[in-house]
Amino acid sequence: MKSIFIAFDQAHYERIVDMLEHNNCRGFTAWQEVQGRGSLTGEPHYGSHAWPSIASAIITFVEDSRVDNILSLLHQLDVESPKLGLRAFVMNVEKTI
Amino acid sequence: MSLYGSAVKRPIMTTLCFVAVTILGLFSLSKLPIDLFPDIETNTIMVMTSYPGASAEDIEQNVTRPLENTLNSVEHLKHITSKSRENISVITLEFEFGYDIDVLTNDVRDKLDMVESSLPDDAENPIIFKFSTDMIPIMLLSVEASESMPGLYKILDDAVANPLARVDGVGSVSISGAPKREIHIYADPARLEAYNMTIEQISSIVGAENRNIPGGSFDIGSETYALRVQGEFKNAQEMENIVVGSFNGKNIYLKDVATVDDSLEERAQKTHNNEQQGAMIIIQKQSGANSVEISNKVMEMIPDLQKRLPADVKLDVIVDTSDNIRNTIDSLVETVMYALLFVVIVVFTFLGRWRATLIICITIPVSLIASFIYLAITGTSLNIISLSSLSISIGMVVDDAIVVLENVTTHIERGSDPKQAAIHGTNEVAISVIASTLTLIAVFFPLTLVTGMTGVLFQQLGWMVTIMMIISTTCALTLTPMMCSQLLKRGVKHGKFYNLFFTPINKALDALDRGYGKLLGVVVTHKISTIIVLTAIFIASIFLLRFVGTEFFPTSDNARLGVSLELPIGTRAEIAEEVTARLSKEWREKYPEIKKLNYTTGQASSDNTFASLQDNGSHIVSMNIALTDPGDRERGIVEIAESMRQDLKRYPEFKKAQVNVGGSRGSGMSGQSTIDYEIYGYDFAETDTIAQRLKRILEKIPGTADIIISRSDYQPEYQVDFDREKLAMYGLNLSTAATYLRNRINGNIASLYREDGEEYDIKVMYAPEHRTSIADIENILIYNSAGNSVRIKDVGRVVERSNPPTIERKDRERIITVSTVVNGVPMSEVVSASQAEIDKMDIPTGISIELSGSYEDQQESFSDLLMLGILIIILVYIVMAAQFESYVYPAIIMTSLPFAFTGIFLLLFISGHNLNVMSMIGAIMLIGIVVKNGIVLIDYIALNRERGMSIRTAVVDGGESRLRPIIMTALTTILGMVPMAVSTGQGAEMWQPMGVAVIGGLTFSTLLTLFYVPAMYCLFAAVGVKRTRKKLRKALAKKQQND
Repeated sequence: MKSIFIAFDQAHYERIVDMLEHNNCRGFTAWQEVQGRGSLTGEPHYGSHAWPSIASAIITFVEDSRVDNILSLLHQLDVESPKLGLRAFVMNVEKTI
Repeated sequence: MSLYGSAVKRPIMTTLCFVAVTILGLFSLSKLPIDLFPDIETNTIMVMTSYPGASAEDIEQNVTRPLENTLNSVEHLKHITSKSRENISVITLEFEFGYDIDVLTNDVRDKLDMVESSLPDDAENPIIFKFSTDMIPIMLLSVEASESMPGLYKILDDAVANPLARVDGVGSVSISGAPKREIHIYADPARLEAYNMTIEQISSIVGAENRNIPGGSFDIGSETYALRVQGEFKNAQEMENIVVGSFNGKNIYLKDVATVDDSLEERAQKTHNNEQQGAMIIIQKQSGANSVEISNKVMEMIPDLQKRLPADVKLDVIVDTSDNIRNTIDSLVETVMYALLFVVIVVFTFLGRWRATLIICITIPVSLIASFIYLAITGTSLNIISLSSLSISIGMVVDDAIVVLENVTTHIERGSDPKQAAIHGTNEVAISVIASTLTLIAVFFPLTLVTGMTGVLFQQLGWMVTIMMIISTTCALTLTPMMCSQLLKRGVKHGKFYNLFFTPINKALDALDRGYGKLLGVVVTHKISTIIVLTAIFIASIFLLRFVGTEFFPTSDNARLGVSLELPIGTRAEIAEEVTARLSKEWREKYPEIKKLNYTTGQASSDNTFASLQDNGSHIVSMNIALTDPGDRERGIVEIAESMRQDLKRYPEFKKAQVNVGGSRGSGMSGQSTIDYEIYGYDFAETDTIAQRLKRILEKIPGTADIIISRSDYQPEYQVDFDREKLAMYGLNLSTAATYLRNRINGNIASLYREDGEEYDIKVMYAPEHRTSIADIENILIYNSAGNSVRIKDVGRVVERSNPPTIERKDRERIITVSTVVNGVPMSEVVSASQAEIDKMDIPTGISIELSGSYEDQQESFSDLLMLGILIIILVYIVMAAQFESYVYPAIIMTSLPFAFTGIFLLLFISGHNLNVMSMIGAIMLIGIVVKNGIVLIDYIALNRERGMSIRTAVVDGGESRLRPIIMTALTTILGMVPMAVSTGQGAEMWQPMGVAVIGGLTFSTLLTLFYVPAMYCLFAAVGVKRTRKKLRKALAKKQQND
């Protein structure tokens, strides 16, 4: 079991949720509006006067076997529109109930 | 979910909502009547009081003054003017605009009740009379006739006037110039005397003979019959054989003492149309009816009516007020269409994509059509003001949509899905779109609060634009994102056409951006000198104001001239007719522009409602001239009027002559402006002298024409002074004697002659040849009750006297008005030139001269508009300060306003227009439009600074990226106004100054704002940065000390 944290421009939201659905990832938790900035490049997403764009975030927990596929699909999405910004981070899940 | 979110997610609902609004709007449009101006409610009430037998001065003292003193306390009264002449006092109360006239009428009635008891016993009760614009005739028809002339009145009454009066909305139809049939019994005084008879006797015998008397009913066998005596004359000649008396045992027939003349009334108005005698039919509307509708119906009926008339009677139209309305509205609709076209072209040129152009331009019809719903609900009409509002708004309603579309496009280009882009893109700009709409509403909403004459006009403009702005913003936040999500695509590929056409445009625009960026760099480096240079330009432009004249309203060309001519008092109607015929012939040859020339001479009979409201008399001639359409002739109406005034100078017969552009003098918003010099003072002789001097002074000032002194001359007349003692000696009293006099000269109506259901007066009087000298009057015999006769010369004297003129008062003081038409030069020039001359005059104490007329209206409107301007500036500042959360930025933007005024003065000066109410309105609108440029610029520069740029880079980069939207929005507004400024159609004079003002102001201010605002921003931002640094340094120093 791995967790994938995805932070992205809110424009991606529906496509990502769709993509997760297609890949049999039923469970996820999403924050529709979050603020943030990439470590290296890209515009900040602050929802402010200067930086009006806003990010969303999704955390999902999937079987280990699905991780690579999802990551590659997410990467594809990011390459399609690099200016929007999309990052995903995979973490281990220690325990669940 | 947000408004735009649900709009994008539910495209069908959004589309249908707007379709519904559009359908409702179109439905309203089909119901809207058209008119020239919004309904201007009447604001005058007249109070008429008659006091028979009193002279003008008695009337003034005993009737007018007490009434004036009481009526003066009625609320909202602006001016109280009065005319006191023999027998009657007419007081006119002028109220401020915008109050309910019915309530005011009640107030006036209450006051009259209070004062009634203090009026002289013989004075009759005051009558209240509401004057309304409905009394102005809406159509004048001319009738040409030759053989049918004697019976014309009856022909017209039956075949034209009655059918027309049945048309829905027609108030009254009167016929002037066609004398009515009348049967005269002309008696010979010598024969009457010989047979010992009087006019009164003949009159009562004729009356007694001309009777039908029912005799009841009676039974014969089984039947009941009615019994009647049919004594009414079958024809006029029958009367000749009536026995009127007997002398020495022999019968005296009417033919022995008089002749019977079956002809027309003696004193009647005569009308000539294009030199041919005929008649005039005057159509007035019912109050509240729509003149265009009525005129349409009347025009439809004319061919039918013509068929019913004899072959020699021809009907034609002299004046059709609706014609002007229709043409004006048509030409305004045309300018609105051109404005629409120009705006679409600008949007297409800048965006280069037809889908984007469609998305933006769809907001224009939607918001414009929706505003018709407002017009229909409030029951107003499609008029100059409402259509001008449309024209003004076209350029502005697209702005919001452009901002939204631009941001959505940016999102799509960055890779968003169009649907997501539409929602998020709109979300980001929603606040600033609403704020910029609020600034415009801050400008236009206060217009709805203006009072007075200008208020009536601009309330509608204010509401219309405010409503259109709200709708266009709603549109931009719902329809625009919805259409973006449906129509815009990612990764658009451009076709051949695009490459061919738009590549050079884009290159040019890019070069412009870069060039502006470079220039901005220079400006920022030399900010102080830039500000100094621009301020100098503004100050220089203030001097230009000296060369731009001011006026109230521009004179518009409605192809109608009214000429009123006055010969010396007492001139016979025949002489007036002869001179006018010469003049009419000369003018018709000289001015091919004249389509129809109609003139009326002579005294109006009292039963002609229209004519009796106007000045009339045997020496007065009134002329109506219809010119060809303004587009079809080279000379303008003002030029023709001026040339006619010169012609009139060659006719010494005319004592007073006026040529009135637009039909009547000083007719509010369309005619030439007038300046009235009101001379207040009690003494007749002194004020008369001053008035004469003033008239001579004014004549020398260029630009004056048709100078008129209001006080008329002393009217010469004959009076019979009866000696009451002598009358008493003969057993007579004054009224018996006076009635004898009247019956012989004016005639006595003996009876009515009936024919074909019509009734005609039978009048008994002296034959015309026996009433031509004073001796004829002196020899009139008066009989007392004993049957003894005495001549008038034995009981009284016939003397020639002058009747004192009407006493005019205004605001409870005697007044005499010298009024002049302003011709060819701005009103302000005439005012200042005459003011200088008046200051030089030595005016006796107790006499003062004041200016009124259009000048007073202008002063009032200008001060109203100035107040409004200040109010608007404050409101706009508040909206901007709230948006920026800063006091400084809005102040910077506000200081760019003067450049708009520089532009207005400059373009008005170049184009030769004057500063009038219309251009002032343009200037006020500019406040909102001009600050928008500043907002866009400052907003983006501030954004750049927040993103961490230095002041300089933020300014240059911000300027470069905002240049295109600024130029685009400015161009849509400017080009939207161009059709207004250059249109030449009917009524174009009216809105040209407004178009010119907006174009001049916006062009100039846009260009200068592009440099001034960045320079000012740099200045203030630098100060701000320095202050922050200083604060930090202090804090640091403090900290170090503490450490």
